[in-house]
Amino acid sequence: MSAVTEYPRGTCVLGGVNATLSAINRICTIYHSGPGCCMQTTAGEGAQSGLLQPYYLGAVSSPCSNMLEREVVFGGEKKLREEIDGTLEIIDADAYFVLTGCTAGIIGDDIEAAVSEYGGKNVYAVTTPGFAGDALLGYEIAFQALFDHIIDKNPKRDEELVNLIGIFPYHDAYWIGAFEELTRILQKLGLKVNTFFTDNQGIEQVKTASSAALNIIVNPWRLKKFAELMSTAYGIPSVRFPGVPLGATQTSAFVRGVGEALKLGGGLIEKVIREEEAYVYHFYESAVGAISWKRFAVVADAGTAIAMTKFLADDWSLSPVVTIVSEPIWSDKDKQYITEQIRCLEFARSPDVFFLPDHCDIRQKIKEYGGITLIAGSSLEQEVSLEIDAQHTAVSFPISDRLIFNRAYAGYRGALTVAEDLFNNL
Amino acid sequence: MAERYSGIREKRPYTYNDLGDKGDKLAADFEKRCIKNADRTFSQGLQCQQINSISAVLSLEESVFVVHSPQGCAGCVTMGADGYRVGQAHRGVRLIKSPRVIVTNLDQNDIIHGGEAKLREAVKLADERYNPKLIFIFTSCASGIIGDDVDAIAADLQPESSSILVPIHCDGFRSKICASGFDAAFIAIQKYLLPKQPPVKQKDLVNLFAPTSISYKDQLEIERMLGLLGVKVNYIPFYSSLEKIRQIPAAAASTSICKVFADEFMKTLEDDYGIPYAHTVMPIGVRNTDKWFLGIAELLGKGDSAREYIEKEHARVLPKLDAIKKRLRGKRVFICGGTGRSFAAAALIDDFGMELAVLETPTYDADAQIDIDYLNGIHKDYVVDIANMQPFEQVNLVNALKPDVFIGVPSWSARFGIPTTHVLDPKRATMGYDGILYLGEKIADQIENPGFNRKLAPYARLPYKKSWYDSDPFKFIKEVE
Repeated sequence: MSAVTEYPRGTCVLGGVNATLSAINRICTIYHSGPGCCMQTTAGEGAQSGLLQPYYLGAVSSPCSNMLEREVVFGGEKKLREEIDGTLEIIDADAYFVLTGCTAGIIGDDIEAAVSEYGGKNVYAVTTPGFAGDALLGYEIAFQALFDHIIDKNPKRDEELVNLIGIFPYHDAYWIGAFEELTRILQKLGLKVNTFFTDNQGIEQVKTASSAALNIIVNPWRLKKFAELMSTAYGIPSVRFPGVPLGATQTSAFVRGVGEALKLGGGLIEKVIREEEAYVYHFYESAVGAISWKRFAVVADAGTAIAMTKFLADDWSLSPVVTIVSEPIWSDKDKQYITEQIRCLEFARSPDVFFLPDHCDIRQKIKEYGGITLIAGSSLEQEVSLEIDAQHTAVSFPISDRLIFNRAYAGYRGALTVAEDLFNNL
Repeated sequence: MAERYSGIREKRPYTYNDLGDKGDKLAADFEKRCIKNADRTFSQGLQCQQINSISAVLSLEESVFVVHSPQGCAGCVTMGADGYRVGQAHRGVRLIKSPRVIVTNLDQNDIIHGGEAKLREAVKLADERYNPKLIFIFTSCASGIIGDDVDAIAADLQPESSSILVPIHCDGFRSKICASGFDAAFIAIQKYLLPKQPPVKQKDLVNLFAPTSISYKDQLEIERMLGLLGVKVNYIPFYSSLEKIRQIPAAAASTSICKVFADEFMKTLEDDYGIPYAHTVMPIGVRNTDKWFLGIAELLGKGDSAREYIEKEHARVLPKLDAIKKRLRGKRVFICGGTGRSFAAAALIDDFGMELAVLETPTYDADAQIDIDYLNGIHKDYVVDIANMQPFEQVNLVNALKPDVFIGVPSWSARFGIPTTHVLDPKRATMGYDGILYLGEKIADQIENPGFNRKLAPYARLPYKKSWYDSDPFKFIKEVE
């Protein structure tokens, strides 16, 4: 399902599947698609989220069957087989995933059949074509593919291992920093963390996902099916947090939530929280008053919208005015949960909440409110910020005007980074 | 043009995209017409023509861009939009805006039932929201295969719209050559926007066609040079407008600053409006700048004043090249780029006494042959790889031939530790005579200071098997019917 949208934020399922899989070390995606899909999907994901591109294979280095008129008319399976043969001959990877563009999807090439001929060579098919939905659906489809093909079917439980999921590689511009900061915190609790995408984690770590004691999902609504599969197949419970935790309040709740789910000793949990909070507040103490009071709007995917609204309101005492969830969400139940999460603030008055994926709707909505002095949104909100003379800070997809490596907008230490970026003496 | 030229570049005679050999061998084979049609049985991602069509018109004023496709086909719009924002900043615009792009977002349901309803909705939205002068509609692989009749829908909607609806047929799968997308855009401009009655001729007006990668500084320099010939420039289509497009037929002559941009369109303008054109080269480097400037000047009957200017500039610039030559002479160069810039860079390195080791460029045709013949007169024993990127061939060649420097997109070659540089530069003028000095300094500085790449190389992790580096780089290029 999808709607006509002005300036959609993110590409298609194909883009999301590729962004996710290509973030796993030594994975090769093979596009069975028209000639532009490799470039389109990476230009529209990684290049729009802090400019990083997969170091191994991506954009114009991804193998691609480049289907032309002949394949569209006569079928592209022969071309796909040649492409896979060539890929196996020259590309050194731990797993190969054949992805489906619209072209192959519409003409109905039997990709599963073609791939089945490569038994034992770690070639797998993901047959969801681009037109099936947006990039974040692609993230979920990629996890489905990992569940189907890679995750170990006969796991041995490791009580110290957790899967940290719900952070979108090459889409959430701060994904690497988020994984690193949350991993740092979880390691202080004595845990080993599967992120699958950072610290050179690869197929071996994906395989062990079924050995984990817990899935930690940092997103308000994605990955429900994956959580269910992991529970049914391997008895792994999931604990869900409504976004990537940001700032002392949310991160301490995160630490307590994980501690509770894993029945970790309360002494350790509270010790870690005290240390980490003290670290953050030591800095805050040195900059009291540095961040001037602001009436703010947030424009972001659901998870970031929740985390950012709460952080600015609860931890920095800024005043929320309106929060716009820019990711397309269709279920009323999900929308209701997300709205409640955004509006449930400690002291501040709750902001209005809207679900608007359309760029023009977003601009118009912000302009309906007077007195907004800060917009925490994507690079696209730079424009409306100039129009209403508000400060702008880029927190959500797309971010195309700054290079981001491991800058964290998550956890305890990430709160300091966000605050640094918020400072503005103009 | 619509009747005469399909807009699909590879359908023009003797056009090749999959080819690799020594420069002299290729030129001889091309001359004898004995190059076979071929295809790569393994390839990496290309750029589709839709990307070029959209980028060609994305900065036009008072326009809305409807992309009739699933959400992913707007991926490169975002890249073009970034360029548009930067272009506004360079032009001193304060309220920098995003281009108005509306994606119809075709989904499973539309694939089965057709996307007409969403296209109508998108065009209406464009009208209601922005009341623009122009609404461009771009087709996609998906809309093309399901058979949406975009022309008919646009014709049906036109009476209700105060904008001019301009469908551009740029389905990705119809061409392997992304520059076809430029042609698709110009075919549409000709069909929908050029006045049937040509406007009053302006003797001093010249159409200057330039692709999106031309920086504002380069635009200013080229306009300045043409100003020396006493002409006014109609700069099309970047940061341009419907009014300027309508002035195209009034011009006394046309020229382009890229070999594959508006070349076919300029032929059409000659046929339809009797406007002569100069199709030469990109004005980068001494030889190319001379050639480009003389090309347009001769057309205008101003050859003499152009030669006078060229002589003056040579006297000013050539002595300054000596110092750069000392730093660069004899260095072996690998060049990779789009058609215009790759050949421009190849001519440029001659100014510095460098040697060509490899030239990687997307298409070989009669136009390319002119440049290859010229290069064969200077360089011996260099390799031509006719490829649109294809980094697997590039790394194989870099590894085998060990050039001293790589000019082009550096993502892969940098990881071999060799110096990398580029003739693209958004901030400074690279074209014209001062551009030569700037690029010379840039190339020399980057070659002499290769620290970044050297230190990166030991940590680099390219994805290719060792055996690939021992293989024939062109082994996947196979003859086809």
